[in-house]
Amino acid sequence: MSEYTMTALPALGGYQASFDGVTLQEVTATAIVSIAIPLGGDDAMAKALQDAYGTAIPRAGHTSLANDGATRFLGMSSEQMFAVFDHAGAHALDVIAGNLKDAGYYTLQSDNWVALRISGPRSRDALERICPIDLNSAAFPQGKVARTTMEHLGVIIYPDDTDSFILLSGSSSAGSFLHALETSIHNIL
Amino acid sequence: MTQKNRITGGLVDRSTTLNFSFNGNRFQGHPGDTLASALLANGQIMMGRSFKYHRPRGALSAGSEEPNALVQLRKGSHQEPNTRATVAELFEGLEATSQNHRGSLENDFMEITDLFSRFLSAGFYYKTFMWPKSFWEKVYEPIIRHSAGLGRISFEPDPDIYDKGFLHCDLLVIGGGPAGLSAALAAGRSGARVIIADEDFMIGGRLNAETLEVDGISGSEWAARAAVELAAMDNVRLMARTTVYGAYDHGIYGALERVTDHLVTSNGKPRQILWRVYSRRAVLCAGATERPIAFGNNDRPGVMLAGAVRAYANRWGVSPGKRVAIFTNNDDGWRTASDLSRQGVNISAVIDTRDGEPRAQIPGATIAMGGRVMDTRGRKAIHSIKLVDGRTIDADCLAVSGGWNPNIHLTGHQRGRPAWREDISTFVPGQDLPAGMSVAGAANGTFTLAAALAEGHAASDRALSDLGMTPKGGDIAKAEDEAANVTAFWHVSESKARAWLDQQNDVTVKDIKLAHRESFRSVEHLKRYTTLGMATDQGKTANMLALALMAECTGKTIPETGTTIFRPPYTPIPMGALAGRSRGKDFRPYRLTPSHKWAEEQGAIFVTTGMWLRSQWFPQPGETHWRESVDREVAATRGSVGICDVTTLGKIDIQGRDAAEFLNKVYVNGFATLDVGKVRYGLMLREDGMAMDDGTTARLGKNHFVMTTTTANAGPVFRHMEFCRQCLWPDMDVHLISTTDGWAQFAVAGPNARKLLQKVVDSDHSITNEDFPFMACGEITVCGGTTARLFRISFSGELAYEIAVPARYGDSLIRALMAAGEEFNVVAYGTEALGVMRIEKGHAAGNELTGQTTAANLGMGRMVSKKKDCIGNVLSERPALNQDDDLRLVGFKPVNKSEALASGAHFIARGKSAVMANDEGWMSSVTFSPELGHSIGLGFIKSGQERMGEIVRAVDLVHNKDIEVEIVSPHFIDPEGDRLRV
Repeated sequence: MSEYTMTALPALGGYQASFDGVTLQEVTATAIVSIAIPLGGDDAMAKALQDAYGTAIPRAGHTSLANDGATRFLGMSSEQMFAVFDHAGAHALDVIAGNLKDAGYYTLQSDNWVALRISGPRSRDALERICPIDLNSAAFPQGKVARTTMEHLGVIIYPDDTDSFILLSGSSSAGSFLHALETSIHNIL
Repeated sequence: MTQKNRITGGLVDRSTTLNFSFNGNRFQGHPGDTLASALLANGQIMMGRSFKYHRPRGALSAGSEEPNALVQLRKGSHQEPNTRATVAELFEGLEATSQNHRGSLENDFMEITDLFSRFLSAGFYYKTFMWPKSFWEKVYEPIIRHSAGLGRISFEPDPDIYDKGFLHCDLLVIGGGPAGLSAALAAGRSGARVIIADEDFMIGGRLNAETLEVDGISGSEWAARAAVELAAMDNVRLMARTTVYGAYDHGIYGALERVTDHLVTSNGKPRQILWRVYSRRAVLCAGATERPIAFGNNDRPGVMLAGAVRAYANRWGVSPGKRVAIFTNNDDGWRTASDLSRQGVNISAVIDTRDGEPRAQIPGATIAMGGRVMDTRGRKAIHSIKLVDGRTIDADCLAVSGGWNPNIHLTGHQRGRPAWREDISTFVPGQDLPAGMSVAGAANGTFTLAAALAEGHAASDRALSDLGMTPKGGDIAKAEDEAANVTAFWHVSESKARAWLDQQNDVTVKDIKLAHRESFRSVEHLKRYTTLGMATDQGKTANMLALALMAECTGKTIPETGTTIFRPPYTPIPMGALAGRSRGKDFRPYRLTPSHKWAEEQGAIFVTTGMWLRSQWFPQPGETHWRESVDREVAATRGSVGICDVTTLGKIDIQGRDAAEFLNKVYVNGFATLDVGKVRYGLMLREDGMAMDDGTTARLGKNHFVMTTTTANAGPVFRHMEFCRQCLWPDMDVHLISTTDGWAQFAVAGPNARKLLQKVVDSDHSITNEDFPFMACGEITVCGGTTARLFRISFSGELAYEIAVPARYGDSLIRALMAAGEEFNVVAYGTEALGVMRIEKGHAAGNELTGQTTAANLGMGRMVSKKKDCIGNVLSERPALNQDDDLRLVGFKPVNKSEALASGAHFIARGKSAVMANDEGWMSSVTFSPELGHSIGLGFIKSGQERMGEIVRAVDLVHNKDIEVEIVSPHFIDPEGDRLRV
């Protein structure tokens, strides 16, 4: 046994707060693995994804959901997707690599990002102050994902429920990103 | 004071009284009043002083085009100058002061300038202050600047907060008058996503200022009902107090919403919001602005636009005067006479420049068809007017109408040129509108009510059809088309007195004629020479008259004379709104390393490097100077072991079958042969052959590499490689993704680095010198199974490693490393000590990788492999970059060891003067070396590698230093690298 113990510390320490019509919480148990599709390997990846998860490769800007609903694939580009799923440890890469084998190139991304869920009937009002994306439910329904910037920070955003959005932004600037969101909420209430 | 000019009617809420002050005098008004309407109601006609001549001025208009009634609103740090009283919404406790006078508003010392007006014509600065030349900056300009200017800022930080936001819609309706409401109703009822924005706090535009009916009810009532209907629609956003100020590319519009300007306090919420509106289509329904007529002394308080006088009467229940005269060239002016007369206001005269029969019967009024006003009397407010036929008529208010100009400004924001319409004597939108924009109503030259309603409705239907939607807007609201004939008339030529065109900038008819005589005839030259159309109102009431006058002078038509280009913003935007949240510490985001919290606990001093906050040094008790801390950190690291957070270095994960070959192409040196489990230093060039960045790249697998970049270039290098991958070599199987934030990475350096690490690295991973030699790398576990990566690389020149764990464990790892190092007296070191050690070792960094140095300059010319091609290879061979006396990076030490070197100093040979011709290079980095006990430096000097031991001068003219330095090897410590390999 090692003399020293390693303790995982979420980027925002597991932040959670509720406001009038808006709830904001850090999603701490989310694993993110980047999946790059090898040049010419689309068919192999499509088959691997179908076999392992019962779903298809998402087009860029779209998501696809594993048939058990546990893993969501975010289409980041024509050759890259993110697998997002609940996983508390730091070995998420092994999960994806184990399922998809050598159909892709995998990179652990969990700690690159802070994940925040903003939800509630006024969540769009708050996001409206920093998010250039049209978040109207018809324009940005569940099943879509977008990359954008909010207050100078790169953000990946997708709706995960009615009036609920997952926001992924760089973990090193998590504090500034949270501040931007809290300010937006303060400004609309 | 009583509201002596308040008459019956209007849309203000008389059941509530609001108290306010102007120049310290207390007044009362009502909700729905503007500051101007309330001042007029109280008989305060004079509201300011003119910019140049300090002439008394009152409100000319009732809207945002106002040139005169500029006031300072609120007090102290909340004070805002140049607020137009005509659009400032009255609230309880409002405090306003007039501006641009020395002494009181009534007795302005600077009014003396009016006496010298004959010397202050257009361009007088350029003609007058020519001699002596040296006086311009020291005497003339300070005096002029002291005298000039509109309003004063508080010189205190703005305590208000501002926000920005993004909106999206199918149809943006700009303006909430009859055409805008008609368009918004049609689109909203059809289910389209609509935003309708109006600068006024009361939706309705001119409907609130007129007595015209729509659908059988008063226009104002119809507008109010329309607003209620629109506000109730989920698909419509009704935005009052919102000015759409600019039309940008791709259907994007800028809008300023004044959220709390009408409230006593903002209560900690944003005062204003700057919106970026993404529209699929837009209808400009911005209405029109009335223009005056130029005649002698037409700027006196009480001379107002006729439509404004009518608005004050109909909307605000205020008559600006007891005896009102009308001077018009069109039918609209007659409606002012009719409306006021109906409300019991005495109309003393109607003077119409046109011949023919009077357009209406106005009881008690002198009617002068074909008449002209040539002068006014009354210094601080008019009391009479003089006609060209010699008659003098009593009037304490003169309502002037020279016709209407469509508010076409936004149609020209992308350089669209307007078109001239002779029948209404004005410019209307041209053909080249911003993409997706159409124009309806008065903004399109459609001045009558029924036609405006129809045009707004039709514009909406067209826009929706374009978008593939089905218009279901129902019937067009019904109204009559009022009389609106006009005959162009610009100025009264018989006037002997000065006749104003631009009241805000004190530009008169005489100035335009002078500009013409002096050949400033292009409208753009005219504007700059006379200042016509500048400042807060941008000449909204002035430009057309000036154009007409210039056309008259040149013998051209008005369209031949042209217009200046309209640019955003349509009305002034406060700087605070443009800044939004980007103030103080919120100016930009911060990036924190995983050890930040721990470093804070240690009392670290932080430095910003890009967006990162890095520990610069860690002061210990008793240390009073940063050098003490840094020297201690360096000595402890070189003596035993030190730890530095290097998470900020860019990390790029590179995978693919062609990853090795890809790296061969982006780096000057070879990577294809790098063994798995090894790291190699790499240098990359830009296409022009200049050094771009350096770093190490580790091979974790056959097709898997991890590259590190400098902190500053993490983004640019990633972007560069994506360009290479996607555009230059799309056939390569290479994939990139940043992992900078994903891994907490620490340098562990010093003779005891290995011993320390062996306490945290799990025992099944051997890191002995034999099993894990210099430049080895591997994926390991630490502290009982936590995933980690270990690289045996050194920036300090010592036995060193960089260890990385997933960022979530970064805090734990720094604590574990420090605890494990206690027995070795481990220290944490910051960027200063890092910099000291890299200079001692002779490593190039940002000061050397400036984008203007080559591999050869850096002493790495031989690294550029000629066995393969790489980015920058060809252009690095340019003859000019390969001269015999090229700059080389070498070391420098002072001849007198007690002297401190200075970066930025230039090298000059002994005995030569310190001039550019004798410049041989420059000092790029300096530090005090604790190891050597004196100052050392790195720098570039011609043929440096061949001049070891030579003495030159390091001349720093900025700090007046000139010291002798010896050229030495850049490797001040361990030049053979023995320490790295133990």
